[in-house]
Amino acid sequence: MNTYVCRYCRQPSDPSQPTCPMCGAPVDIRDAVSDSGWIEQPPIRDMARLQFGQSHVQIAGTTVPVAEFALAPQDFIYFSHHVLLWADPQAQLGNMSMRGGWKRMMAGMPLIMVEGRGPGHIALSDNHAGEVIALPLQQGQRMWVREHRFLCATGNVRYDWEATNIWYDTGEDSQHQDIHYPMGQYGDTFTAQDRHGLVLLHSPGNTFIRDLRQGESLLIQPSALLYRDVSVRAHLHLEFPRNMGFAFWHARWSYHKIWVRLTGPGRVAVQSVYQPPEDSEAIRNSSYTTVYRW
Amino acid sequence: MTCGAPLDVRDKVSDSGWREAPRLRDMTEFRFSASTCQVEGELVPVAEISLSPQDGVYFEHHVLLWKDESVPLSSLKTAGGMKRTLGGMPHIVTVANGPGRVAFSRDSPGELVVLPLHPGMELDVREHAFLLASHSIQYSFVRIKGLANVLHGGSGMFMDRFITAQYPGLLILHGNGNVLERTLKPGEKILVEPGGFLYKDSAVQMNAVQMPLRTGMLGQHRMFLAEMTGPGRVGIQSMYVHHAASE
Repeated sequence: MNTYVCRYCRQPSDPSQPTCPMCGAPVDIRDAVSDSGWIEQPPIRDMARLQFGQSHVQIAGTTVPVAEFALAPQDFIYFSHHVLLWADPQAQLGNMSMRGGWKRMMAGMPLIMVEGRGPGHIALSDNHAGEVIALPLQQGQRMWVREHRFLCATGNVRYDWEATNIWYDTGEDSQHQDIHYPMGQYGDTFTAQDRHGLVLLHSPGNTFIRDLRQGESLLIQPSALLYRDVSVRAHLHLEFPRNMGFAFWHARWSYHKIWVRLTGPGRVAVQSVYQPPEDSEAIRNSSYTTVYRW
Repeated sequence: MTCGAPLDVRDKVSDSGWREAPRLRDMTEFRFSASTCQVEGELVPVAEISLSPQDGVYFEHHVLLWKDESVPLSSLKTAGGMKRTLGGMPHIVTVANGPGRVAFSRDSPGELVVLPLHPGMELDVREHAFLLASHSIQYSFVRIKGLANVLHGGSGMFMDRFITAQYPGLLILHGNGNVLERTLKPGEKILVEPGGFLYKDSAVQMNAVQMPLRTGMLGQHRMFLAEMTGPGRVGIQSMYVHHAASE
Protein backbone atom coordinates (compact mmCIF):
# COMPACT_ATOMS: atom_id res chain seq x y z
CA MET A 1 0.00 0.00 0.00
CA ASN A 2 1.36 3.40 -0.94
CA THR A 3 1.94 5.56 2.14
CA TYR A 4 3.99 8.30 0.46
CA VAL A 5 2.62 11.79 1.13
CA CYS A 6 3.95 14.75 -0.87
CA ARG A 7 5.86 17.17 1.37
CA TYR A 8 4.37 20.18 -0.33
CA CYS A 9 0.71 19.45 -1.12
CA ARG A 10 0.24 16.94 1.76
CA GLN A 11 -1.72 14.54 -0.44
CA PRO A 12 -1.07 10.80 -0.96
CA SER A 13 1.22 10.71 -3.96
CA ASP A 14 3.44 8.49 -6.11
CA PRO A 15 7.16 8.52 -5.21
CA SER A 16 8.09 6.64 -8.39
CA GLN A 17 7.24 9.66 -10.56
CA PRO A 18 9.78 12.48 -11.12
CA THR A 19 7.15 15.01 -10.02
CA CYS A 20 4.12 14.74 -7.75
CA PRO A 21 1.13 14.02 -10.04
CA MET A 22 -1.10 16.03 -7.67
CA CYS A 23 0.87 19.28 -7.34
CA GLY A 24 3.84 19.00 -9.72
CA ALA A 25 6.51 19.39 -7.01
CA PRO A 26 9.73 17.48 -7.80
CA VAL A 27 9.95 14.22 -5.85
CA ASP A 28 13.70 13.69 -6.20
CA ILE A 29 15.05 16.79 -4.47
CA ARG A 30 15.93 17.54 -0.86
CA ASP A 31 13.89 20.00 1.15
CA ALA A 32 15.27 23.53 1.15
CA VAL A 33 14.44 24.66 4.68
CA SER A 34 15.59 27.90 6.25
CA ASP A 35 16.93 27.94 9.80
CA SER A 36 13.64 29.37 11.01
CA GLY A 37 11.59 26.59 9.44
CA TRP A 38 10.31 28.04 6.16
CA ILE A 39 10.22 25.41 3.42
CA GLU A 40 10.89 26.76 -0.05
CA GLN A 41 8.18 25.56 -2.43
CA PRO A 42 10.12 24.16 -5.41
CA PRO A 43 8.83 25.50 -8.72
CA ILE A 44 6.85 23.05 -10.81
CA ARG A 45 9.24 21.60 -13.39
CA ASP A 46 8.88 22.77 -16.95
CA MET A 47 6.39 20.53 -18.83
CA ALA A 48 5.33 18.66 -15.66
CA ARG A 49 1.78 17.21 -15.80
CA LEU A 50 -0.84 17.23 -13.03
CA GLN A 51 -3.71 14.80 -13.22
CA PHE A 52 -7.33 15.52 -12.22
CA GLY A 53 -10.43 13.59 -13.21
CA GLN A 54 -9.93 12.37 -16.76
CA SER A 55 -7.98 15.51 -17.65
CA HIS A 56 -4.57 16.92 -16.95
CA VAL A 57 -2.78 20.24 -16.85
CA GLN A 58 0.77 20.78 -18.09
CA ILE A 59 2.91 23.64 -16.79
CA ALA A 60 5.06 25.27 -19.49
CA GLY A 61 7.70 27.92 -18.84
CA THR A 62 9.50 29.11 -15.74
CA THR A 63 9.45 32.92 -15.73
CA VAL A 64 5.70 33.42 -16.15
CA PRO A 65 4.48 29.81 -16.38
CA VAL A 66 1.53 28.82 -18.53
CA ALA A 67 -1.02 26.25 -17.29
CA GLU A 68 -2.15 24.30 -20.34
CA PHE A 69 -5.27 22.19 -19.71
CA ALA A 70 -6.21 19.15 -21.78
CA LEU A 71 -9.86 18.79 -20.79
CA ALA A 72 -11.84 15.59 -21.22
CA PRO A 73 -15.49 15.98 -22.31
CA GLN A 74 -16.90 15.58 -18.78
CA ASP A 75 -14.48 17.97 -17.04
CA PHE A 76 -14.51 21.73 -16.72
CA ILE A 77 -12.52 24.50 -15.08
CA TYR A 78 -13.33 28.11 -14.17
CA PHE A 79 -11.14 31.18 -14.16
CA SER A 80 -11.17 34.96 -14.45
CA HIS A 81 -11.33 36.02 -18.11
CA HIS A 82 -8.14 38.10 -17.97
CA VAL A 83 -5.88 35.04 -17.44
CA LEU A 84 -6.94 33.30 -20.66
CA LEU A 85 -3.93 33.02 -23.01
CA TRP A 86 -5.22 30.77 -25.78
CA ALA A 87 -7.85 28.10 -26.45
CA ASP A 88 -8.73 25.48 -29.04
CA PRO A 89 -11.72 26.63 -31.10
CA GLN A 90 -13.61 23.48 -30.01
CA ALA A 91 -13.22 24.16 -26.27
CA GLN A 92 -16.45 25.67 -24.91
CA LEU A 93 -16.16 29.00 -23.10
CA GLY A 94 -19.12 30.48 -21.23
CA ASN A 95 -20.06 32.65 -18.31
CA MET A 96 -20.30 31.42 -14.73
CA SER A 97 -22.20 34.01 -12.71
CA MET A 98 -21.20 34.82 -9.16
CA ARG A 99 -23.24 35.82 -6.14
CA GLY A 100 -22.65 39.18 -4.42
CA GLY A 101 -21.88 41.06 -7.62
CA TRP A 102 -22.08 44.56 -6.16
CA LYS A 103 -19.79 43.82 -3.22
CA ARG A 104 -17.37 41.99 -5.50
CA MET A 105 -17.23 44.95 -7.85
CA MET A 106 -16.69 47.41 -4.98
CA ALA A 107 -13.83 45.23 -3.70
CA GLY A 108 -12.19 45.06 -7.15
CA MET A 109 -12.77 41.30 -7.44
CA PRO A 110 -13.73 39.60 -10.71
CA LEU A 111 -17.47 39.82 -11.25
CA ILE A 112 -17.85 37.03 -13.72
CA MET A 113 -15.91 33.83 -13.99
CA VAL A 114 -15.40 32.06 -17.28
CA GLU A 115 -16.21 28.37 -17.46
CA GLY A 116 -14.09 26.30 -19.85
CA ARG A 117 -15.41 22.88 -20.82
CA GLY A 118 -13.81 19.99 -22.64
CA PRO A 119 -13.01 18.42 -24.92
CA GLY A 120 -10.16 20.66 -25.92
CA HIS A 121 -7.17 22.64 -24.73
CA ILE A 122 -7.28 25.90 -22.73
CA ALA A 123 -4.15 27.73 -21.53
CA LEU A 124 -3.97 30.30 -18.72
CA SER A 125 -1.23 32.56 -17.39
CA ASP A 126 -0.96 35.49 -15.02
CA ASN A 127 0.85 38.76 -15.58
CA HIS A 128 3.72 38.63 -13.08
CA ALA A 129 7.05 36.85 -12.91
CA GLY A 130 6.55 34.08 -10.39
CA GLU A 131 5.33 30.54 -9.92
CA VAL A 132 2.20 28.51 -10.48
CA ILE A 133 1.21 26.86 -7.19
CA ALA A 134 -1.02 23.78 -7.27
CA LEU A 135 -3.28 23.13 -4.29
CA PRO A 136 -4.92 19.72 -4.58
CA LEU A 137 -7.86 19.49 -2.14
CA GLN A 138 -9.25 16.32 -0.61
CA GLN A 139 -13.03 15.92 -0.62
CA GLY A 140 -14.39 18.39 1.92
CA GLN A 141 -11.06 20.20 2.40
CA ARG A 142 -11.25 23.99 2.49
CA MET A 143 -8.48 26.54 1.91
CA TRP A 144 -8.25 30.33 2.28
CA VAL A 145 -6.44 32.21 -0.52
CA ARG A 146 -5.53 35.88 -0.74
CA GLU A 147 -7.60 37.75 -3.32
CA HIS A 148 -6.24 38.11 -6.88
CA ARG A 149 -3.93 35.10 -6.50
CA PHE A 150 -6.44 32.64 -7.93
CA LEU A 151 -5.63 31.33 -11.42
CA CYS A 152 -8.27 28.61 -11.88
CA ALA A 153 -10.03 25.68 -10.21
CA THR A 154 -11.61 22.44 -11.34
CA GLY A 155 -15.39 22.43 -11.67
CA ASN A 156 -16.06 20.46 -8.49
CA VAL A 157 -14.37 23.05 -6.26
CA ARG A 158 -16.78 25.52 -4.68
CA TYR A 159 -15.67 29.14 -4.72
CA ASP A 160 -16.73 31.46 -1.89
CA TRP A 161 -15.37 34.66 -0.56
CA GLU A 162 -15.42 36.29 2.85
CA ALA A 163 -14.36 39.54 4.48
CA THR A 164 -10.83 39.41 5.88
CA ASN A 165 -11.93 41.53 8.88
CA ILE A 166 -8.46 43.08 8.91
CA TRP A 167 -8.65 46.82 8.48
CA TYR A 168 -7.74 50.19 9.99
CA ASP A 169 -8.75 53.73 9.27
CA THR A 170 -6.77 56.94 9.15
CA GLY A 171 -7.73 60.56 8.58
CA GLU A 172 -8.19 63.76 10.50
CA ASP A 173 -11.75 63.09 11.60
CA SER A 174 -14.77 60.97 10.79
CA GLN A 175 -15.53 63.18 7.77
CA HIS A 176 -12.17 62.43 6.14
CA GLN A 177 -11.45 58.89 7.08
CA ASP A 178 -9.64 56.41 4.83
CA ILE A 179 -10.24 52.74 5.42
CA HIS A 180 -7.27 50.50 4.63
CA TYR A 181 -7.34 46.74 4.03
CA PRO A 182 -3.69 45.68 4.15
CA MET A 183 -4.51 42.05 3.37
CA GLY A 184 -7.33 42.90 0.95
CA GLN A 185 -10.96 43.51 1.80
CA TYR A 186 -12.00 39.97 0.94
CA GLY A 187 -10.32 36.59 0.78
CA ASP A 188 -11.23 33.63 -1.44
CA THR A 189 -12.12 30.24 0.01
CA PHE A 190 -12.13 27.02 -1.99
CA THR A 191 -13.81 23.79 -0.94
CA ALA A 192 -13.61 20.44 -2.74
CA GLN A 193 -17.14 19.08 -2.84
CA ASP A 194 -17.95 15.55 -4.03
CA ARG A 195 -14.38 14.40 -4.78
CA HIS A 196 -10.87 15.74 -4.74
CA GLY A 197 -10.29 18.95 -6.67
CA LEU A 198 -7.48 21.16 -7.85
CA VAL A 199 -6.89 24.89 -7.38
CA LEU A 200 -4.07 26.70 -9.21
CA LEU A 201 -2.68 29.94 -7.86
CA HIS A 202 -0.16 32.37 -9.31
CA SER A 203 2.43 33.52 -6.77
CA PRO A 204 4.60 36.51 -7.70
CA GLY A 205 8.24 35.86 -6.76
CA ASN A 206 9.12 32.79 -4.71
CA THR A 207 6.86 30.86 -2.35
CA PHE A 208 7.59 29.55 1.13
CA ILE A 209 5.41 27.38 3.36
CA ARG A 210 5.44 26.68 7.08
CA ASP A 211 3.44 24.58 9.53
CA LEU A 212 2.36 26.36 12.68
CA ARG A 213 1.76 24.29 15.79
CA GLN A 214 -1.27 24.82 18.01
CA GLY A 215 -0.93 28.35 19.47
CA GLU A 216 2.31 29.12 17.58
CA SER A 217 2.23 32.53 15.95
CA LEU A 218 4.31 34.68 13.64
CA LEU A 219 4.14 38.16 12.16
CA ILE A 220 4.15 38.69 8.39
CA GLN A 221 3.72 41.48 5.89
CA PRO A 222 -0.06 41.50 5.30
CA SER A 223 0.14 41.42 1.49
CA ALA A 224 2.70 38.58 1.51
CA LEU A 225 0.21 35.97 2.69
CA LEU A 226 -0.61 33.64 -0.20
CA TYR A 227 -2.81 30.95 1.35
CA ARG A 228 -3.53 29.38 4.73
CA ASP A 229 -5.47 26.52 6.22
CA VAL A 230 -8.80 27.84 7.47
CA SER A 231 -7.75 26.68 10.97
CA VAL A 232 -5.07 29.42 11.03
CA ARG A 233 -6.37 32.64 12.60
CA ALA A 234 -5.24 36.12 11.49
CA HIS A 235 -5.46 39.56 13.08
CA LEU A 236 -3.80 42.95 12.88
CA HIS A 237 -0.72 43.71 14.98
CA LEU A 238 0.94 47.11 15.40
CA GLU A 239 4.47 47.72 16.58
CA PHE A 240 5.65 51.14 17.72
CA PRO A 241 9.45 51.48 17.65
CA ARG A 242 11.06 53.28 20.57
CA ASN A 243 12.39 56.15 18.48
CA MET A 244 9.42 58.06 17.05
CA GLY A 245 11.52 60.17 14.68
CA PHE A 246 9.57 63.18 13.43
CA ALA A 247 6.23 61.52 14.11
CA PHE A 248 5.76 63.54 17.33
CA TRP A 249 5.58 66.71 15.23
CA HIS A 250 2.01 66.27 14.07
CA ALA A 251 -0.98 64.44 15.51
CA ARG A 252 -1.73 62.88 12.09
CA TRP A 253 1.63 61.17 11.88
CA SER A 254 2.57 57.97 13.56
CA TYR A 255 5.69 55.85 13.44
CA HIS A 256 4.56 52.27 13.45
CA LYS A 257 4.85 48.96 11.66
CA ILE A 258 1.78 47.11 10.44
CA TRP A 259 1.77 43.32 10.64
CA VAL A 260 -0.66 40.46 10.45
CA ARG A 261 -0.29 37.90 13.23
CA LEU A 262 -1.01 34.33 12.13
CA THR A 263 -1.77 31.80 14.86
CA GLY A 264 -1.72 28.01 14.35
CA PRO A 265 -2.49 25.26 13.98
CA GLY A 266 -2.16 24.89 10.24
CA ARG A 267 -0.17 25.54 7.11
CA VAL A 268 0.61 29.01 5.83
CA ALA A 269 2.31 30.12 2.60
CA VAL A 270 3.91 33.47 1.77
CA GLN A 271 5.11 34.99 -1.50
CA SER A 272 8.33 36.99 -1.68
CA VAL A 273 6.79 39.86 -3.69
CA TYR A 274 4.49 42.14 -1.69
CA GLN A 275 3.44 45.75 -1.22
CA PRO A 276 4.14 47.20 2.22
CA PRO A 277 1.15 49.07 3.66
CA GLU A 278 1.21 52.83 4.19
CA ASP A 279 2.37 53.33 7.75
CA SER A 280 2.95 57.03 8.27
CA GLU A 281 -0.50 58.21 9.29
CA ALA A 282 -1.97 57.81 12.77
CA ILE A 283 -4.52 55.00 13.04
CA ARG A 284 -7.85 56.15 14.42
CA ASN A 285 -9.75 52.89 14.51
CA SER A 286 -9.15 49.29 13.49
CA SER A 287 -10.34 45.69 13.55
CA TYR A 288 -9.17 43.58 16.50
CA THR A 289 -5.53 44.59 16.96
CA THR A 290 -2.72 43.71 19.31
CA VAL A 291 -0.13 46.42 20.01
CA TYR A 292 3.47 46.35 21.13
CA ARG A 293 5.41 49.48 22.08
CA TRP A 294 9.17 49.16 22.23
CA MET B 1 24.01 32.61 -39.41
CA THR B 2 23.09 31.00 -36.07
CA CYS B 3 20.63 31.83 -33.30
CA GLY B 4 22.56 30.90 -30.15
CA ALA B 5 20.13 28.16 -29.08
CA PRO B 6 21.78 25.45 -26.99
CA LEU B 7 22.24 22.29 -29.05
CA ASP B 8 22.63 19.89 -26.13
CA VAL B 9 19.10 20.20 -24.74
CA ARG B 10 15.88 18.53 -25.88
CA ASP B 11 13.03 20.49 -27.38
CA LYS B 12 10.42 21.34 -24.78
CA VAL B 13 7.08 20.78 -26.47
CA SER B 14 3.74 20.71 -24.65
CA ASP B 15 1.12 18.07 -25.39
CA SER B 16 -0.77 20.44 -27.66
CA GLY B 17 2.30 21.26 -29.73
CA TRP B 18 3.61 24.55 -28.30
CA ARG B 19 7.39 24.61 -28.29
CA GLU B 20 9.22 26.76 -25.76
CA ALA B 21 11.63 29.26 -27.26
CA PRO B 22 15.12 27.99 -26.44
CA ARG B 23 16.39 29.75 -23.33
CA LEU B 24 19.69 31.32 -24.39
CA ARG B 25 22.53 30.63 -22.00
CA ASP B 26 24.14 33.57 -20.28
CA MET B 27 27.00 34.97 -22.43
CA THR B 28 25.95 33.00 -25.51
CA GLU B 29 27.62 34.47 -28.58
CA PHE B 30 26.60 34.02 -32.22
CA ARG B 31 27.40 35.61 -35.55
CA PHE B 32 25.39 37.42 -38.18
CA SER B 33 26.90 38.88 -41.33
CA ALA B 34 30.38 40.01 -40.22
CA SER B 35 29.19 41.01 -36.70
CA THR B 36 28.55 39.17 -33.45
CA CYS B 37 25.81 39.26 -30.84
CA GLN B 38 26.28 38.23 -27.23
CA VAL B 39 23.32 37.67 -24.90
CA GLU B 40 23.92 38.62 -21.27
CA GLY B 41 21.68 37.94 -18.31
CA GLU B 42 18.65 35.73 -18.00
CA LEU B 43 15.94 37.66 -16.15
CA VAL B 44 15.92 40.79 -18.35
CA PRO B 45 18.48 39.79 -21.00
CA VAL B 46 20.72 42.25 -22.82
CA ALA B 47 21.74 41.84 -26.48
CA GLU B 48 25.24 43.25 -26.97
CA ILE B 49 26.17 43.72 -30.61
CA SER B 50 29.70 44.07 -31.90
CA LEU B 51 29.19 45.70 -35.28
CA SER B 52 31.68 45.32 -38.10
CA PRO B 53 32.27 48.41 -40.31
CA GLN B 54 29.89 47.28 -43.06
CA ASP B 55 27.00 46.32 -40.77
CA GLY B 56 24.22 48.21 -39.00
CA VAL B 57 21.16 47.50 -36.86
CA TYR B 58 17.94 49.45 -36.33
CA PHE B 59 15.74 49.65 -33.23
CA GLU B 60 13.29 51.79 -31.24
CA HIS B 61 15.41 54.43 -29.55
CA HIS B 62 14.29 53.68 -25.97
CA VAL B 63 15.69 50.13 -26.00
CA LEU B 64 19.28 51.35 -26.36
CA LEU B 65 21.09 50.46 -23.12
CA TRP B 66 24.61 51.68 -23.90
CA LYS B 67 26.96 52.19 -26.84
CA ASP B 68 30.53 53.04 -27.68
CA GLU B 69 30.95 56.78 -28.18
CA SER B 70 32.23 56.20 -31.71
CA VAL B 71 29.11 54.41 -32.96
CA PRO B 72 27.12 56.83 -35.16
CA LEU B 73 23.33 57.01 -34.83
CA SER B 74 20.92 58.02 -37.57
CA SER B 75 17.23 57.57 -38.25
CA LEU B 76 15.57 55.09 -40.58
CA LYS B 77 13.17 56.47 -43.13
CA THR B 78 9.77 54.96 -42.43
CA ALA B 79 6.61 55.37 -44.45
CA GLY B 80 3.29 56.48 -43.00
CA GLY B 81 4.67 58.66 -40.21
CA MET B 82 1.36 60.17 -39.09
CA LYS B 83 -0.44 56.83 -39.19
CA ARG B 84 2.37 55.29 -37.17
CA THR B 85 2.19 58.01 -34.54
CA LEU B 86 -1.59 57.76 -34.27
CA GLY B 87 -1.28 54.01 -33.99
CA GLY B 88 1.09 54.33 -31.03
CA MET B 89 4.07 53.01 -32.98
CA PRO B 90 7.49 54.65 -32.84
CA HIS B 91 7.63 57.61 -35.23
CA ILE B 92 11.38 57.38 -35.54
CA VAL B 93 13.35 54.18 -35.82
CA THR B 94 17.03 54.62 -34.99
CA VAL B 95 19.99 53.06 -36.82
CA ALA B 96 23.43 52.28 -35.38
CA ASN B 97 26.29 51.58 -37.77
CA GLY B 98 29.60 49.88 -37.14
CA PRO B 99 32.31 49.64 -36.21
CA GLY B 100 31.72 49.51 -32.48
CA ARG B 101 29.62 48.03 -29.71
CA VAL B 102 26.04 48.78 -28.86
CA ALA B 103 23.68 47.02 -26.37
CA PHE B 104 19.90 46.73 -26.09
CA SER B 105 17.32 45.60 -23.55
CA ARG B 106 13.65 46.09 -22.77
CA ASP B 107 12.44 46.70 -19.26
CA SER B 108 10.52 43.62 -18.19
CA PRO B 109 11.32 40.03 -17.22
CA GLY B 110 11.29 37.83 -20.27
CA GLU B 111 13.42 36.29 -22.93
CA LEU B 112 15.06 37.19 -26.20
CA VAL B 113 13.77 35.45 -29.30
CA VAL B 114 16.45 35.25 -31.95
CA LEU B 115 14.98 34.83 -35.42
CA PRO B 116 17.44 34.48 -38.28
CA LEU B 117 15.52 35.33 -41.46
CA HIS B 118 16.44 33.67 -44.72
CA PRO B 119 15.92 35.48 -48.05
CA GLY B 120 12.27 35.73 -49.05
CA MET B 121 10.72 35.59 -45.55
CA GLU B 122 7.99 37.83 -44.11
CA LEU B 123 7.32 38.03 -40.40
CA ASP B 124 4.71 40.11 -38.52
CA VAL B 125 5.55 41.21 -34.97
CA ARG B 126 3.31 42.91 -32.40
CA GLU B 127 4.13 46.56 -31.93
CA HIS B 128 6.89 47.43 -29.42
CA ALA B 129 8.13 43.84 -29.23
CA PHE B 130 11.09 44.00 -31.58
CA LEU B 131 14.44 44.74 -30.01
CA LEU B 132 16.61 45.11 -33.08
CA ALA B 133 16.94 44.03 -36.69
CA SER B 134 19.96 43.93 -38.97
CA HIS B 135 20.04 46.51 -41.75
CA SER B 136 19.52 43.92 -44.51
CA ILE B 137 15.91 43.42 -43.33
CA GLN B 138 13.22 45.69 -44.79
CA TYR B 139 10.91 47.27 -42.26
CA SER B 140 7.27 48.28 -42.70
CA PHE B 141 4.04 47.96 -40.82
CA VAL B 142 0.59 46.50 -41.42
CA ARG B 143 -2.76 47.33 -39.94
CA ILE B 144 -4.97 44.55 -38.66
CA LYS B 145 -8.37 45.80 -39.69
CA GLY B 146 -10.43 43.14 -37.94
CA LEU B 147 -9.07 44.01 -34.53
CA ALA B 148 -9.30 47.77 -34.93
CA ASN B 149 -12.38 48.59 -32.91
CA VAL B 150 -11.84 45.77 -30.47
CA LEU B 151 -8.44 46.72 -29.22
CA HIS B 152 -7.80 50.38 -29.79
CA GLY B 153 -11.13 52.14 -29.98
CA GLY B 154 -11.08 52.37 -33.75
CA SER B 155 -7.55 53.54 -34.43
CA GLY B 156 -6.52 50.03 -35.41
CA MET B 157 -3.85 47.65 -34.31
CA PHE B 158 -0.55 47.81 -36.12
CA MET B 159 2.13 45.22 -36.47
CA ASP B 160 5.72 45.58 -37.56
CA ARG B 161 6.45 43.64 -40.74
CA PHE B 162 9.98 42.42 -41.46
CA ILE B 163 10.87 41.24 -44.95
CA THR B 164 14.08 39.81 -46.34
CA ALA B 165 14.69 40.17 -50.07
CA GLN B 166 17.86 38.59 -51.47
CA TYR B 167 19.97 38.77 -48.27
CA PRO B 168 19.47 37.01 -44.94
CA GLY B 169 19.10 39.04 -41.74
CA LEU B 170 18.84 38.81 -37.99
CA LEU B 171 15.76 39.83 -36.01
CA ILE B 172 15.69 39.82 -32.20
CA LEU B 173 12.46 40.21 -30.24
CA HIS B 174 11.82 40.60 -26.54
CA GLY B 175 8.97 38.44 -25.24
CA ASN B 176 7.48 39.19 -21.82
CA GLY B 177 7.52 36.15 -19.56
CA ASN B 178 7.98 32.92 -21.49
CA VAL B 179 7.72 32.60 -25.25
CA LEU B 180 6.05 29.64 -26.96
CA GLU B 181 5.81 28.86 -30.67
CA ARG B 182 3.50 26.61 -32.63
CA THR B 183 3.36 25.79 -36.31
CA LEU B 184 -0.17 25.69 -37.70
CA LYS B 185 -1.04 23.43 -40.58
CA PRO B 186 -3.00 24.89 -43.54
CA GLY B 187 -6.48 25.77 -42.28
CA GLU B 188 -5.67 24.90 -38.65
CA LYS B 189 -7.06 27.47 -36.20
CA ILE B 190 -6.14 28.61 -32.72
CA LEU B 191 -7.71 31.31 -30.50
CA VAL B 192 -5.21 33.60 -28.79
CA GLU B 193 -5.67 36.43 -26.31
CA PRO B 194 -4.60 39.45 -28.45
CA GLY B 195 -2.24 40.71 -25.72
CA GLY B 196 -0.41 37.38 -25.76
CA PHE B 197 0.32 37.48 -29.50
CA LEU B 198 4.01 38.07 -30.22
CA TYR B 199 4.79 37.18 -33.85
CA LYS B 200 3.58 35.17 -36.81
CA ASP B 201 4.54 34.30 -40.34
CA SER B 202 2.72 36.72 -42.61
CA ALA B 203 0.93 33.72 -44.21
CA VAL B 204 -0.96 33.21 -40.95
CA GLN B 205 -4.34 34.99 -41.05
CA MET B 206 -5.42 36.90 -37.94
CA ASN B 207 -9.05 37.87 -37.26
CA ALA B 208 -11.04 38.98 -34.25
CA VAL B 209 -13.77 36.60 -33.11
CA GLN B 210 -16.33 37.35 -30.44
CA MET B 211 -16.64 34.82 -27.63
CA PRO B 212 -20.10 33.79 -26.38
CA LEU B 213 -19.56 35.44 -23.01
CA ARG B 214 -19.59 38.88 -21.45
CA THR B 215 -17.46 40.50 -18.78
CA GLY B 216 -17.56 43.57 -16.55
CA MET B 217 -20.35 45.03 -14.45
CA LEU B 218 -23.76 44.04 -15.82
CA GLY B 219 -21.95 42.10 -18.54
CA GLN B 220 -21.59 45.14 -20.79
CA HIS B 221 -18.19 44.08 -22.17
CA ARG B 222 -17.83 41.67 -25.02
CA MET B 223 -14.85 39.38 -25.13
CA PHE B 224 -12.82 38.94 -28.29
CA LEU B 225 -9.96 36.66 -29.12
CA ALA B 226 -7.62 36.63 -32.11
CA GLU B 227 -8.29 33.68 -34.37
CA MET B 228 -5.09 32.60 -36.10
CA THR B 229 -5.39 30.40 -39.16
CA GLY B 230 -2.45 28.49 -40.64
CA PRO B 231 -0.24 27.74 -42.40
CA GLY B 232 2.74 29.14 -40.54
CA ARG B 233 4.35 29.86 -37.21
CA VAL B 234 2.67 31.69 -34.33
CA GLY B 235 4.61 32.95 -31.29
CA ILE B 236 2.98 33.97 -28.00
CA GLN B 237 4.24 35.46 -24.73
CA SER B 238 2.92 34.36 -21.35
CA MET B 239 2.98 37.81 -19.71
CA TYR B 240 0.90 40.41 -21.46
CA VAL B 241 -1.35 43.41 -21.19
CA HIS B 242 -4.90 42.14 -21.27
CA HIS B 243 -6.98 43.79 -23.97
CA ALA B 244 -10.13 43.49 -21.93
CA ALA B 245 -12.95 43.94 -24.38
CA SER B 246 -15.16 46.49 -25.98
CA GLU B 247 -18.31 48.07 -24.62
